[in-house]
Amino acid sequence: MAKFITIGERIHCIAPAIRDAMATRNPEPILKRAKEQLDAGATYLDVNIGPAENDGEDLMKWAVQLIQSNFDNVPLALDTANKKAIEAGISVYNRSKGKPIVNSADAGGRIENIDLAAANDAIVIALCSAEGIAADNDERMMHCQNMLERGMMLGMDPGDLWFDPLFVVVKGMQEKQMEVLEAIKMFSDMGLNSTGGLSNNSNGMPKHIRPIMDSAMVAMCMMQGLTSAIVNPCDLRLMETIKSCDVFKNNTLYADSYLEL
Amino acid sequence: MPFNQKPQKFNAKINTVTIGTGDKTVTLGGNSTFPFYTFDAPTVNTPKVGVEISDLGLEALPEGAKAYYEGCTTMADIAKKAAAMEGADFVALVLEGGDPNGEDKPVEDLIAVVKEVADAVDCPLVVEGCKNVEKDSTLLAKVAEALQGRNVVVMSEKEENYKAVGAAAGLAYNQIVGAESAVDINLAKQLNVVTTQLGINAQNIVMNVGTACAGYGYEYVVSTMDRIKGAALGQNDNMLQMPIITPVASETWGVKEASASEADMPEWGPQDERGIDMEVMTAAADLASGSDAVILRHPQSVAAVSKMIKALA
Repeated sequence: MAKFITIGERIHCIAPAIRDAMATRNPEPILKRAKEQLDAGATYLDVNIGPAENDGEDLMKWAVQLIQSNFDNVPLALDTANKKAIEAGISVYNRSKGKPIVNSADAGGRIENIDLAAANDAIVIALCSAEGIAADNDERMMHCQNMLERGMMLGMDPGDLWFDPLFVVVKGMQEKQMEVLEAIKMFSDMGLNSTGGLSNNSNGMPKHIRPIMDSAMVAMCMMQGLTSAIVNPCDLRLMETIKSCDVFKNNTLYADSYLEL
Repeated sequence: MPFNQKPQKFNAKINTVTIGTGDKTVTLGGNSTFPFYTFDAPTVNTPKVGVEISDLGLEALPEGAKAYYEGCTTMADIAKKAAAMEGADFVALVLEGGDPNGEDKPVEDLIAVVKEVADAVDCPLVVEGCKNVEKDSTLLAKVAEALQGRNVVVMSEKEENYKAVGAAAGLAYNQIVGAESAVDINLAKQLNVVTTQLGINAQNIVMNVGTACAGYGYEYVVSTMDRIKGAALGQNDNMLQMPIITPVASETWGVKEASASEADMPEWGPQDERGIDMEVMTAAADLASGSDAVILRHPQSVAAVSKMIKALA
């Protein structure tokens, strides 16, 4: 089995410093966050430029080239609702360290992002929802099947669709947590890759609690067969948990210094 | 249904490490298949065979080997003859006389031997320590210094002395570091991690992950090498992609099958033949499990194993 893949989530236009940097094309804050996340062990970096309706194409190209040229062509997830911006980003993307990830498609209004990924030989994150969160796992798996078939009809390798069960918040949806974990097991049993914004589970919790909840969640998810997650790699407890679970899963050979790798 | 051959492709490969200088070099590693899986991809660099010589001279050698070296009176003579052996790719000098529990030769004397051997031959060289970690810390640092510019492998960097040996060989004198562990996959990886953390380039490290003589707990050796190659290729683990050099002779010539005389064990047949058999079998198994080079003692073993490599790789 391959090692668990972490997608660093900290280049996000909701953060004021990043939004400003994107608006003024100021490299420093973006490069700083990229470096922090890579030093902390992220494999992929997510580049969220928001809806970016006006200058999305230009902005995504700029961001992709900026980050890849500074960090040895680190692989990226291109994250925006603007399809043209994703295509523009892929047009300047260097694949030597991994395919680009289209973040994201769903089984509803954004299903065409699967077509976009297929046309560009990219990976796509496929949210198992259409309008709102799936009511149960029957619905989740129906969406999964639909998106899988669509991708395969377009010639995609099934491994390039990374299914996202949609992590839900404990405070408010505590009774739904096991269902999400069971969905991951179903993806895994089908031999599919999976990912998701796992820290959603701890939304609204005190800051010191979140790493604990997120670490427990990632351990349970990896047991179920989750292959990737969109996370804050600067959360040391979480990253240590992932590395430890990779050892238990025999995804990586143990050495006393495994946490330093 | 026709058989459809599907090659096993890995997006990873074993590091390429070149030993020696000038036009007399050997290159280990570079392959991205399991050993001898030529049906998956052509072999980039075939496994290599080294000839072991000792600072203690010829006395402990089996009869057939003694006969090969007949007339050699100095270490320089022995080294030249070893380098000229049919099938030999490099010479491995073992400084066993340095062992404090044995002859306990002073470091200066051993360095004189190292220099004599190095001056006598221009083939690639591997130098092993005396098996005592404290003595090796000093001795191997001096070896690295004495052989500056020769791009040799300084073997016997262990968990207990990696700082002294690794820093001298890998950093100060730019040699290749041979990281040694004893059939322990986790330690093999750990030693590579801490060696690179000293600042030594992963491309300048080879591993000796240990071996046993065939029949003496050998299955641990197979699983260790197998697991290392599996992680190096299948999991792209860059802390295990170093080529493996395996000193075989030092394990096989000590077991009773090789050491019992024909007078004591007439039903076992000629002693030399038994020893060669043990050496060849173990070397063949090491190569099939993932060794990129083996170190042997008997000229007949060297010839047989190099022939096997030519036939398979």
